[in-house]
This record gives sequence, C-alpha cells and structure tokens, in this order.
Amino acid sequence: MTKPSATYKGLSRREFLRLSGAGVASAALLQACGGFSSSSGSSSKKLIFSHGPDDSGTVKLLIDKFNKENSKGISVDWREQSADTGAYFDSLKTQFQAGGGDIDVISGDVIWPAQFGFNGWVEDLSNLFDDSMQSQFLSGPLEAVTYKGKPYAVPWFTDAGMFWYRKDLMKKNGYDPNKPPTTWEELQGMAKKIVGSGDAKYGLVFQGDQYEGGVCNGAEYIWGAGGDILDPSDPTKVVIDGSQATTGLTTERSQVTTSTAPQAVVTFEEQDCQTAYLNGSSAFMRNWPYMYGLIAGGKETGSKITPAQVGVAPLPASTPGGKGYSCLGGWNLFINAQSDKKDDAWELVKFLAGPEAAKIRALKGGFLSPLKTTYTDKAVTGKVPVLGLASSLADQIRSRPVSPFYSDLSLKMQAGFNASIKGTETPTDTVSQLQSEMQGIIDQGTS
Amino acid sequence: MYESRLSRTAFYFFVALFVIMLLFPLLWILKLSLISPAELQQSPPTLLPHSFDTGSYERAFSDSRFVHGLTNSIIIAGITTIICLIVGSIAAYALARLKFTLRTPVMTIILAIAFFPAVAILGPLFLQFTTLHLINTYWAMVIPDTLFALPLSIYLLVAYFQELPTSLEEAARVDGASTLQVFRRITLPLSLPGIVTTGLLTFIFAWNEFLFANTFAFDERTQPATVAIPNFATVHTQDFGAQAAASLIVTVPLVLLVLFFQRRIVSGLTAGSTTG
Amino acid sequence: MAESVSAKQVAARKGRRPGLFSSFKNEFRNKDRRLAYYMIAPVLIIILAVAVYPIVYAIYLSFQEVIPNQPSHWAGLQNYTQMFSDPIFHSALLNTAIFTVCSVALELVLGIPIALALNRAFKGRGVARAASLAPYAFPTAIWAIMWRLMFQDQVGIMQYISTKLHIFTDPILGSSGALLIAGVIVDVWKTTPFMALLILAGLQVIPRDVYEAARVDGATPWQQFWRITLPLVKPALLVAVLFRTLDAWRVYDLFWVMGSKQLNSLSTYVYTGVSVSQLDFSLGNAAAVFVFVSSLLIALVFLRGIGTRAQG
Repeated sequence: MTKPSATYKGLSRREFLRLSGAGVASAALLQACGGFSSSSGSSSKKLIFSHGPDDSGTVKLLIDKFNKENSKGISVDWREQSADTGAYFDSLKTQFQAGGGDIDVISGDVIWPAQFGFNGWVEDLSNLFDDSMQSQFLSGPLEAVTYKGKPYAVPWFTDAGMFWYRKDLMKKNGYDPNKPPTTWEELQGMAKKIVGSGDAKYGLVFQGDQYEGGVCNGAEYIWGAGGDILDPSDPTKVVIDGSQATTGLTTERSQVTTSTAPQAVVTFEEQDCQTAYLNGSSAFMRNWPYMYGLIAGGKETGSKITPAQVGVAPLPASTPGGKGYSCLGGWNLFINAQSDKKDDAWELVKFLAGPEAAKIRALKGGFLSPLKTTYTDKAVTGKVPVLGLASSLADQIRSRPVSPFYSDLSLKMQAGFNASIKGTETPTDTVSQLQSEMQGIIDQGTS
Repeated sequence: MYESRLSRTAFYFFVALFVIMLLFPLLWILKLSLISPAELQQSPPTLLPHSFDTGSYERAFSDSRFVHGLTNSIIIAGITTIICLIVGSIAAYALARLKFTLRTPVMTIILAIAFFPAVAILGPLFLQFTTLHLINTYWAMVIPDTLFALPLSIYLLVAYFQELPTSLEEAARVDGASTLQVFRRITLPLSLPGIVTTGLLTFIFAWNEFLFANTFAFDERTQPATVAIPNFATVHTQDFGAQAAASLIVTVPLVLLVLFFQRRIVSGLTAGSTTG
Repeated sequence: MAESVSAKQVAARKGRRPGLFSSFKNEFRNKDRRLAYYMIAPVLIIILAVAVYPIVYAIYLSFQEVIPNQPSHWAGLQNYTQMFSDPIFHSALLNTAIFTVCSVALELVLGIPIALALNRAFKGRGVARAASLAPYAFPTAIWAIMWRLMFQDQVGIMQYISTKLHIFTDPILGSSGALLIAGVIVDVWKTTPFMALLILAGLQVIPRDVYEAARVDGATPWQQFWRITLPLVKPALLVAVLFRTLDAWRVYDLFWVMGSKQLNSLSTYVYTGVSVSQLDFSLGNAAAVFVFVSSLLIALVFLRGIGTRAQG
C-alpha cells in the first residue's frame, strides 16, 4: 500500500469546477454518438426499410437491386426485425407512441393496417396508390390494406394457410398419393397408419404456440366448422361463442388427444414445423406457401425431402363435403407518417410491390404475389405449383378480424386457443371466456 | 475416529454434488456451442460430444445485432458504473464518515430502493422518456440502471470506507485539509480495491438488466446483448449452437472477472453485512 | 393491523417534530454537516426523479382511463376492479406467490448446509466458494433461453432426464404447471449459491469459543446446530430471506423469456398492460401499484419480524 505523501495539495474550487466541466463535456461528446441521441427525426441520408428475417435471401437481393438501379440515387438500409410478429409489432408500437422513430418503409403483417391507420401512425396512401394501380391487385389483399375506405399500405405478398402432405408416405401406406385427406377425421386415420408403420415420427404438425400464428390456426378450425369470430355484418359484435366455434376448437384439440400431432405442438411455431417437416419427421403439415422454396432448396436450405415427395392442398374440412378455410396471411408495405423522405419511400414501395420484384420473390422464395399478372405469367406458374393452387383457393381464404384494437383481441385469442389445445381449458369455456373478453375490448375501444 | 472418515467422505460428496449441479448447465451449454449442427438436432441428445465444430461461434459473430448488442452492453454498463461510482462514493463517504441527523433515514431510503420493484415505474418512465426524447437512447437504460445499482454500490462503499483506519484522515485534517480534500486525496486512493470491486458488481448488474432494455430499446443501435440474444433466438429458432455460443460469449468474461476478484467480492459482501 | 401501525408512526412523528425542526437549523449552520447534505444530494435527487416521482405518477395513472386517440379521464377504481376480476391477473398472482414461496424455501433449505460446508476448512474450499459466486454473474434473461433449450422436448437434456426417470413425460414447455416448476428450478440453481454466501457471512461472525463451550458440555453437532448456529445466524438469515423474497416477488426476466408468454407473473402482467397492450395502459399501472404496495407490505412484515427478534 502506498502511503499518500503529506505534501498533498487540496482540491481547489477551480479544480473541482474543471472536473465537473470535464464530466459535462464528455457527456456532450457521448451525446454525439448514435445511441445517446433520440432517433426520432434523425436526418440520416439512408432510407430505412424494416422487415423481419428472410430465409429465402430474396429481400437482400431486391434491396441490392433497388440500390443499384434506382434513378434517384436512393440508398436503402434494411433494418432486420424480430422474427416473432408479436415482438415486431410491440417494437413498432413503442416507436410510434414515442414519436415515430426513424423507419421510412415498414413491411408489416396483413392484419396491421386498421390499427396503424386508426392511430395515424402510417401514411394514408389514397393519393399515391390510385385506382389504376389498385386495379392490378387481387381483391383479397387489397381489401386487407383498406381501412374505412382508405388504403394505408400496398400489398407486398400474400399468404394462405396450406396443407402439405407427403405423397411417398401415403403411397407406401396404401393411400392414393393424389387424394390428400379432405376432412380432419380422414387425416387422423391416415396419420395413425403412417406413424404406426414407422414411416414418420409425427402425423401432423401445425402452429399451436401462444402467438399470432396460433390465432391463424385456431381461426381456420373455427371457420372450417362453420363458425366465425366477429359478426361479418357488424364487426363490433363478437360471435365466437357459437357452437360451431366450439366444434372447431374441439377438433384442433383432438389433434393432440388422438396423438396425430405431438404433445409439443402446443409450443410449435412456423420454424419448429419447418424443421420437423424438412427433416422428414412429419407426414402432414399446416404451413404457409414459403415452405415450397425451402423444400426445393435441398441442401442449401437443409431439406432432406424433395418437391417430388410433397403435395400441397387446401386445408381439410370438419365434415365430409364441407369446405376448409385458410387464414389470409401476407405482408404489406407501409410508409411511416413521420418519415421525412416520403417520396423516396414511395419509390421503394413501388419497386418492391411491382411485377418484377413479385416475379423474383415467387420464383426464388415461393412467395405468393398479390398482383393479378403473376398468375397468368406462364414463366412463373409453371415453376411454382403453389401459385396455381392459391389462385384456385381464392374463395376459401378468409381474413382475421379487422379492428383498430386487433393486437389486444389477438392477445386474448392467443391465450385462449393455446389453453384449449393444451387441454387446460375446455373449448366451451375458452369460447365463452373469449366472447366476454373480446367484446369488452371492442366496447372499451369504441366507447 | 472411524466416524470422521465416514462423515468426511459424505461431506466431500455433498460439496462435489453442489459444485457439479452448479456447473452442469454451463458445461452443457458449452457442449452445445461446440458440436456440429447435425449432432445438435439429434434426439435424444448425446450426453458426451461426438463432434467438434466452431461454426456456432462464427455464426454468432456474423450476426450484426449480436455484435452491436455486445458494444451497446459495454457502453451502457460502463456509463452506469462510472456514474454510480462517482455519485455513490461521494454519498457513501458522507454516510460513512460525516455526522448528520438524517444519516439513518437517508441510508434507509437508499437501501429501500434495492427492494423497489422496477416494473412499478415502467409506465411512467415510458411517458417521461418519451417527453424527453430519450426512448431508444442509451440514457433510457442508463438512468434507471443507475437508480437500481446505486443502493448496492453505496452499501458496499460505506462498508469499505468504514473499514479504513481513520488515523491518516485525522492527520490530514490537522494539517488543515478540508473534508473534500481528505476524501479525494486520502480516502479514495486508499479504498481503490473496494472501488474496483464495487464497480465490477455494478457493471454486472447493469450488464444483466433486461426489463428496461426490453421496453425502451428497439434496434441494434441501442439494444444491449440481453435483449439482442432473445431476439437472435427468435430469428435463428433452430440454431441452438449459435444461441449457446452467443450466451457463453456474454457470460464467460463476467464469470472470469468474478472468479478473479472472488476473494474481494466475498469479503466485500461479508464486510457489508456485518458492519452495515 | 396496518392502520394501527401507521397511526403509531404518525404519533411518533408528531411527537418528534419540534425537536427535528430546530436541529435542522443547527444542522445547516454546521459547515461539515451542511457538506454532508450536499454530498448525498445527487443520490437523493436521482431517487426523487427516477423512483418517487414515477411511482406517484403511476398511482395517478392507475386512476385514469387512457384510450388511444381520446383524452384520458378520471376512472375511479375501475382499473382496480377490472384487474381483480381478471383471471389472468389471478393466475399471475398465484404463480408469483407459488414461485416466491417455493424458490425462497428451497434456497433456504439448500443454502444453510452449503453455507455450513463452505464455512468449514477443507481442501478446495476456494474453488467451491468461487464456483458458488459464478451464477451471480449470469444474465438471467440469457440463461432463461439456455434453460429453455435444456427443457426443449426434442434435444433438451432436462426433458430427456425427466422422461427417462418417468418424472414428467409430457413436453415441459407445453405445460403451465411444469413451466412453473422449471422456473423454480432455474431460480434455485441461480440464486442458492448467493443465498449461501449471505448466510456464510452471518456464520463467520459467530465466535468459535461458543462452540467449544458447547462441545465441553457434550452437545452433539446436531444440538449445536439447533441451539447455537441457528439462533445466532437468524438475523443474517432473515435479511437474506427478505432480500430473496422481494426479488422473487418481482420476477420478470425468467418468466418472460423462458415462459414465452405462457407463464404469467405480476411483473409480466404489468409489462403486458403497459408495454404490449394498446388499451390496458392504465390497467398495467394499477397492477404496477399493486406490485409496489404488496412489496412494501412484505418488507414491513419482515422488518417487524427482524425488529422483534432483535429485541427479544
């Protein structure tokens, strides 16, 4: 230990001031670094595009292409967001509530326009996205971006829940590989046989976790049984407590009780299903069209199965002769209402939503274009069979409830549907509880 | 004595069991981070590694969110530590050495903050930070982290200052030095070991904070590793190896520091609890 | 009971007031004492601005109704009645209570023998003490993901072990009950060593000669533990238990990350209201006030216990 010398000099007032001055100066210096100043209203020269992670590689490709080819010298930065739609939404909501953030173009879920538009968080595109441009789009995705008659986004790609089946395993077990099951009951019989003969570990995988995807899956079972969530003629009325909805959720629960799906399906999201399917562990799967790109990707995407082994069909129905419904998914392109580069942002939106980009996304990623022309382009339809199926499905695709308070409704449905699949709540209890909770939210929001 | 041999064996068995239980998760995650992707997906898992692959670390380091997260963590925890040490040591000196009537109430208030549920002020802080344009800046994390790290820092520093012999300080006072001069020229240099230990514990506290970071930071410019890694896990859901590697990268340096300063930390905590 | 306590405190404060006021004046005339106040001022300002003001604001917000695009207005007790009738709040409260009681009890039961062991002189004590400090440095949020991996139904080692031993064969992450138990296990793993160190601090203060006297009197080690060690280490134990109880009561990181929304605690309930939901901001603040008040009550109960024990 060093002994402090007796000849110390005291800390004079001047020294003290100098020290505190240094402190203030260094704080100011730090303020100059990125993380110390607020991001809202930043004047960075780059256009910021936010989107979740992309396994297909097409987003990076398109952005590079846009950066190179656009005539205005716009440079786009891709800010990668959480893969979990709920977490992505929470983060955007926080930014909007805190003053807007610095994102210019937002790629967001098909279900967000009502909430974003209602709160004035995104730009009303009525003047830019005009009638002649709108007429190029399919009606389903177009309706989904419209709230109270105004478009708040441009559809980027569309999605629908699909039924994937293994032709080779069906054939091996004595089923016609071109006749996928049309009812859930039929599926459960086939699954039992295929799993029983040891050809697959699981019969079916789907998204049963407590998250947005779980809402899509639950809604499909409810629709498939003839039920609905909100009254189609009066969207302020919740009708989820009908007996059909109970039947639907009972069917979903039966996938677990009959061991058609593994117990762990109550924690499965898209990527869990994807892994199980690409590994060849499951005979059937409910998932989005993007799977096609991964199955075709072979080694590059880690797939152990090939497109020849796989078929894709509409989701099974509850009763023979009935119709299975697919949940409308997909992503839209929004422009932040607080963006200071709205003209540049629109250029990017036009490019990403245009026919050329749609073709690249369809061919390389299996994404469904919302543009009518893509479905008549033989160069595309011939190579991506999912597209043909999707266009024939049109009247079997339905949208989740449209509401400015969708995120709160969704939280309740996520919890309710998951509890019902797990069996911690009976489907009857689930729907009656959801009925009162969801009606409460809508009443609170519109009071 | 025959009994003592038996009890000694039982004793060592007990201690060994404790250490193994403690370290098992660490070793398991280390194993996950070092095996091949194929082995990672094997079900049931292999108990001992059959392959060796550092690819997981490469994938973790090639994720820009994670790398930024590390930098942000260092900045946030570093600044919190500096503020806590400056503000905390000044206050701790007053509490340890100076006589004033409100000493006990003040100490109680400061210690009460250690028990304060952070989540209780989340909503109001969000509104306040929004008004001050601090959302998604380092300050939105540094400010509440400082509040919640201060009690521990002050508690430890008070204990260190009280342990120092007062003779040198008294001698300096006789020479005419003021209280502040004594504090800066004598007490601070003498208690450097205590300050380093306190700084380390404060740094760990801020490094591990999750609630405020998860609420107030939303992109890679500000998110610390505690938030970046759970996000990383949702992006690479099935890349268990990279998740394990990232987690170890964030944990191991701190564990090494703690082990290095182990004796100091234990004696610091011990001293604090007996004198404080 | 709470009323009588506060009444007593008020009475005590009233009785002291005149003395307090005049001593304040003297206090500020004294140069050194004045300096002391300047030196603690920054800390007090931080506490006032970042803890006291926000909590008062939270109480105010909990009586408001906030709806997007509309001015907020006074809502009386509406948020509180809504909260107390919300089944999710019930499960959050129950989970938090179970988690707190189980994890703290287990940590205590395991912590005492570990502390006794670490207090003995043996080969490798340094290593054992060092090892017990290591989990303290582990970020909970990050290790919650790692534990989630270990509980995962395909590749998770914990699921494998529990299935092999027929303890729990269903997917652990898919069952709320199993998740809660898993949460307790992780917390016990992470904090028992720290608890042991706190108890160890109490043990080290006990003078050796007390034990020697007891040994001369023929007390068995078991009797020594119950009659000497436990009573003497009790204050340290109570402080450690108080510290851990309040820490467990506000559990957030572990439940939020490991539970992946399927495991509620009071804190995740507040977080969901304040930060996730668009309509429940005031509800979240009501829950925040509940967490604050309940923590305060727990602390008071413990402090009374410590106080009376110290007197007796």
